[in-house]
Parts: sequence; C-alpha cells; structure tokens
Amino acid sequence: MFKMYPQWYPARQSIRLDPKGKSLKDEDVLQHLPVGTTATFYFRDLGAQISWVTVFLTEYAGPLLIYLMFYFRVPFIYVPKYDFTTSKHWVVHLACMCHSFHYVKRLLETLFVHRFSHGTMPLRNIFKNCTYYWGFAAWMAYYINHPLYTPPTYGEQQIRLALTVFLFCQIGNFSIHIALRNLRPPGSKTRKIPYPTKNPFTWIFLLVSCPNYTYELGSWLGFTLMTQCLPVAAFTLVGFIQMTVWAKGKHRSYLKEFRDYPTLRSPILPFIL
Amino acid sequence: MPSSLKARTSGTTELLYESFLSRWLVIAVGLVRAYLARGSYHGLYYSIEKPLKYFQTGALLEILHCAVGIVPSSVVLTGFQVMSRVFLTWAVTHSVREVQSEDSVLLFVVAWTVTEIIRYSFYTFSLLNHLPYLIKWARYTFFFVLYPMGVAGELLTIYAALPYVQKTGLYSITLPNNYNFSFDYHTFLILVMISYIPLFPQLYFHMIRQRKKVLGHVEEYSKVE
Repeated sequence: MFKMYPQWYPARQSIRLDPKGKSLKDEDVLQHLPVGTTATFYFRDLGAQISWVTVFLTEYAGPLLIYLMFYFRVPFIYVPKYDFTTSKHWVVHLACMCHSFHYVKRLLETLFVHRFSHGTMPLRNIFKNCTYYWGFAAWMAYYINHPLYTPPTYGEQQIRLALTVFLFCQIGNFSIHIALRNLRPPGSKTRKIPYPTKNPFTWIFLLVSCPNYTYELGSWLGFTLMTQCLPVAAFTLVGFIQMTVWAKGKHRSYLKEFRDYPTLRSPILPFIL
Repeated sequence: MPSSLKARTSGTTELLYESFLSRWLVIAVGLVRAYLARGSYHGLYYSIEKPLKYFQTGALLEILHCAVGIVPSSVVLTGFQVMSRVFLTWAVTHSVREVQSEDSVLLFVVAWTVTEIIRYSFYTFSLLNHLPYLIKWARYTFFFVLYPMGVAGELLTIYAALPYVQKTGLYSITLPNNYNFSFDYHTFLILVMISYIPLFPQLYFHMIRQRKKVLGHVEEYSKVE
C-alpha cells in the first residue's frame, strides 16, 4: 500500500474488513482473518500522525521551562523593578523544586520507562495538549512566583503535610509505572491484569484499576495545599476529570477483556469512582 | 430520544413554548406602549427590565430541551447563545447601572424580542405539525438583519460599560489575597468583545447554511404546509 501511495505512510493507514468496523491490528495475519478466497479491505486515512514520544516530550518540556521563566522573574512578566529578583518566601523555592522534579520525572519516564501500545497519534493532538499543559503551567507559575504571593494560611505545618503527600504520591506514581512496564516484555504489545508486587506502593492495585492516576491526583492535591493557589486547584480539578474519564475507559476494557478481573477494584478512587 | 417519551412531553413543550411566545409578545407590547407613552425611546429598558430578566434566564431551559432531544437544534450552539444572552442581561446591563439608558440596550432588546417571537412561533407550530410557510421563511430570513443588529447592540453596550467597570473595579479580584488569584473584569469584557470576531461569523454562516437547506428544499416541491 505504502509503495503505491507514499503519502499514506503505514501509521496513517487504517485497514478494516467492514467500513464501520474496528481497524485490523498490525499483527493480524491474512490467513487467520474471516475471509473467503477473495478479501475486500477498506482503507481509511487517519490523518497526519506524530509519535507519542515526541508529543509527550514536547508537552512536558514546556511546563518545565515556562515555570522556571516565571520563577526567575524574566523581564516583561512582572513590574520591571522585580526583574530577576527572587521570592522571599521559602515555600516558593520549594514549589519550584517540586514542579520541576515532577516534569523531569515525566520526561525521564517517557524516555526510559513507558512502553506505548500505539506508535503514533493524530498531529492535531500536539497543539491541543501543549496548549493545555503550557497554558496551565504559565497561569499557575504567574501567581506562585508573583511578588505579591501570599504563603499558605497554616504556614510550616501546612507546607510540611503538603510536601509529604506530594512526595508519597510521586513515589507511588513511579512505582505503578514500573509495575506496568514489567507486565509487558520489551517490544511486545500484550495486555495483562496488573497485580500488587512486593513494593507497598503497588498494593493499591487491590482497590483501583488505574492507581497511576490516583497517585497523580494526590500529587497535585499536595501541590495545591503547598501553594494555596486557586489556579493550581483548577488545574488539579480539570486533570482529575480527564483522568477519571480515562480510568473509566481503561477499567471497562479490562472488564471486557478479562473474565476473571478482580471485582473489588474501582477505576480511580477506591470504592467511590 | 425514545418516541414514547417524545410523545408524552411534546404536549407540555408546546404549552411551554406558547407561554414563552406570549411572554416575548408581552415584552414587545410593553416596549411599544412605553414608547408611545413617552414619545421617545430613551429609558425604555426600565419598562421591560423585569420580564426580560425572567424570560432570558428561563431560556436556560432551552439547553435542556436540546440535550433531551425535544428540539432538533444543537446543544452547543443553543447553549452558547443562551449563555451569551444571560451574560448580557445580568453581568453587563443589570450590573452596570450607567449603561441601562444607552440606546444600544434597546437595539439588542428589540433584536432579541423579534427573533424570539418568530422562533417560538416556529417551534410551537412545528410541534403542532401545522407550520405556516411564512413563519418558516421569517425564521430563516429575518436573521440577516436581526443578528448583526443584536450583535451591534451587545458590543456597544459592553463597550459603554468598560469605563465604569474599570473605575469601580466591578467583579474584580486583586492581589494579594489568600488564594493567590486575580481577575480583572475590565480585561475579561474586552476579551469577550474580541471573541465575537471568530464566533459571530460561524453562527451567521451556520444560519445561512440552514436557510439553504430548509428553504431551498421547499422550492423543489410545491408548498405542502
């Protein structure tokens, strides 16, 4: 196909037996398909594609750099007399470290940990995703690093609790990513039910299908508590809604694919959601 | 939407639309009477202020109707239009006293009134399966003038409100505060005005396309209704 029509590179092709049916997978073998002596295939152009890795790297590098621009109070953001000054509140420095750590972790996971099922996604996604991540990062960073920033009401107690929650959930999230990676041998696209391992942070699999999202929510709740900043709360809420949608979808696929899927598990919040 | 549910609700919906229709007629009549009484069109806003607020806010129900399927319009477009009207009515005209005597308010009130009278007549008659061609024609033709008229009135009103909003800091939050958040209503209103640039042409061309579909169709057969 690609040889006849070079503009439709393989990642862009969707081939199916029925125009309204699901696409065939790369691994499907012609002999095993339910066709007679002649087979009719339907082709669909999925549009310009871009690799998942590229999208993830771009959408995560943005917030990392943008936040730092606000942290260092680069000119044209705040009133000129504050250019290149630093905040007098130590929580602002802590927040910068946490935010940066979070996105560095995500970048490294993208490069070394995650095993993606699909190679590519539609090109327009990169614009949509980057607008979301970069936009919110700028909005949050503006207020946290603002000269008129107000530290949390309950001071050191609140910040300490928030940091504990944040770190706990970062480790948890990483543990889940590693556990999910180990489910899948390198280069394969098999799907298996994830189970708790020796790592206590994975024991949450007993109650939840997508604990990576659970921990992610926890991390951002921690960050919201740490900074006591409304835009951060908004970002946490929007992220939570999106992750819940994804978690419910994943939970449903698990249930469909595996007859013996544990019944105690909820998609994202134990017993609740 | 299941046809059984549609059958049961359509009687109530018709009544609802007739009541909406009559209310907009009330506004129209109110406007005409006040105009005749005063001899000028200044300050007419006050004569229809309350009904306008109630009916425009009641139009929020419309979004529900679209979502449930009683009305074949798109939820997004209808929701957007209702939201923008509720915004103009409450967040601009009601909130900023000084613009209430502006001519631009009258401009959009008249545009909305005429539009809604035609629209509710259209829906009511459609539900009764007895739609006069004139109403259908009016619904898909008058908008050519009414849309720009309404938009002009709305934009001019928002523009008139700007200096007062800036002076009083209406609906605005400044730093520093405990939630580390700020909101400038003045800037927000400017952004709203700018948003008309991409949005209004889309709605306008959508109606033009609908017109071709609905009215162009009838020319092929002889008038049935």
